[in-house]
Amino acid sequence: MEQLIKDLKLQIKNALNLEELSLEEFDENAPLFGDEGIGLDSIDILEIIVLLEKEYGIRLANPKEGKAIFQSVKTIAEYVQANRKK
Amino acid sequence: MAEQVWAGTTYGNEWMHKWLIRMLRYIDVRILYLFLAVFIIPVCLVVNPSRGIAYRYFRRRIGYGRLKSAWKTYVNHCLFGQVVVDKFAMYAGKKFKIEIEGYDKFIELTKHQEGFVQLSAHIGNYEIAGYTLVCRDKRMNALVFAGEKASVMRNRDKMFAGTNINMIAIQPDMSHLFEIDQALQDGEIVSMPADRINGSPKFLEHDFLGAKAKFPLGPFSVATIRALDVLTVNVLKTSATGYKIYVTPLPYDKSATRQEQIRQLSKAYVAELEKRVKQYPEQWYNYFEFWQEG
Repeated sequence: MEQLIKDLKLQIKNALNLEELSLEEFDENAPLFGDEGIGLDSIDILEIIVLLEKEYGIRLANPKEGKAIFQSVKTIAEYVQANRKK
Repeated sequence: MAEQVWAGTTYGNEWMHKWLIRMLRYIDVRILYLFLAVFIIPVCLVVNPSRGIAYRYFRRRIGYGRLKSAWKTYVNHCLFGQVVVDKFAMYAGKKFKIEIEGYDKFIELTKHQEGFVQLSAHIGNYEIAGYTLVCRDKRMNALVFAGEKASVMRNRDKMFAGTNINMIAIQPDMSHLFEIDQALQDGEIVSMPADRINGSPKFLEHDFLGAKAKFPLGPFSVATIRALDVLTVNVLKTSATGYKIYVTPLPYDKSATRQEQIRQLSKAYVAELEKRVKQYPEQWYNYFEFWQEG
């Protein structure tokens, strides 16, 4: 799980061009969206959806699950671990 | 400078919309145009801040003199009133003469298995296109403002019943993004405006009609994320009962980096928009401070 979180942090940082955010500062429990967390927005979600599809073969079937999955890097990692195809 | 905010909803209440549709079943749109031009628009110009915004647009961006800009501001508001009337006339069952330039480009993309993105702008009357550019084999998904009046949404639903058009409403919980992505993965068409920043505050800056202007990043990001083909569709009013639809493919290098793809695509969109705005300057309906100028 620890390695998966590390990989996800790096992949999200690269996909979203978060140059100013170091991996050490990137807290896996921090909320991804909103002012209190990393500060991502709706466009970034799409990037992460495609990233999950390309890297882990995951296609989100139910849009309603999205909000819970994308709360933090940790919640994404938990979802990936349970659903990954590669 | 004012924020780039637009309510995105059609003026008037449900009762007014219902009566307008009933009336338009029996009377010619030109009677309403005349009524608007004589009684409604002059009042709107006095009470509405859109007057100054439109005037500055004609003065600074189109380069008209003072008197011509003032006259064109009036014409612009009359035309805006007319396209709203036309929208309801369409709900009332009235038909318009539609000419399409570049229809073959649309047909060509509908034959591909992959989905594609159709970008529009708030010029002319895009909603007319929805009823014309429809494909039997490929569903069209139109991104619409979730806060639109219930009567407008009901009429749209009625119009779209039996067609291959689906509405995706912009939602605060971002669920519309999943719908957009799903539609594109399923090889469908997604249509959205690309001239107003709505939802995500991320933007791209381009020279547009001689000054810097902000365009939303979202539509260009969505299109390039899966390296999809993109068309821009602008629908301009040419007469009381006529419209011309311009369908133009927007090229970009799909092998370039994502950032470069977004830059190329947005640049092509802005160039095409500028071309159409210069062609039909009175049909620009973004009534907020679009340009970053003093």
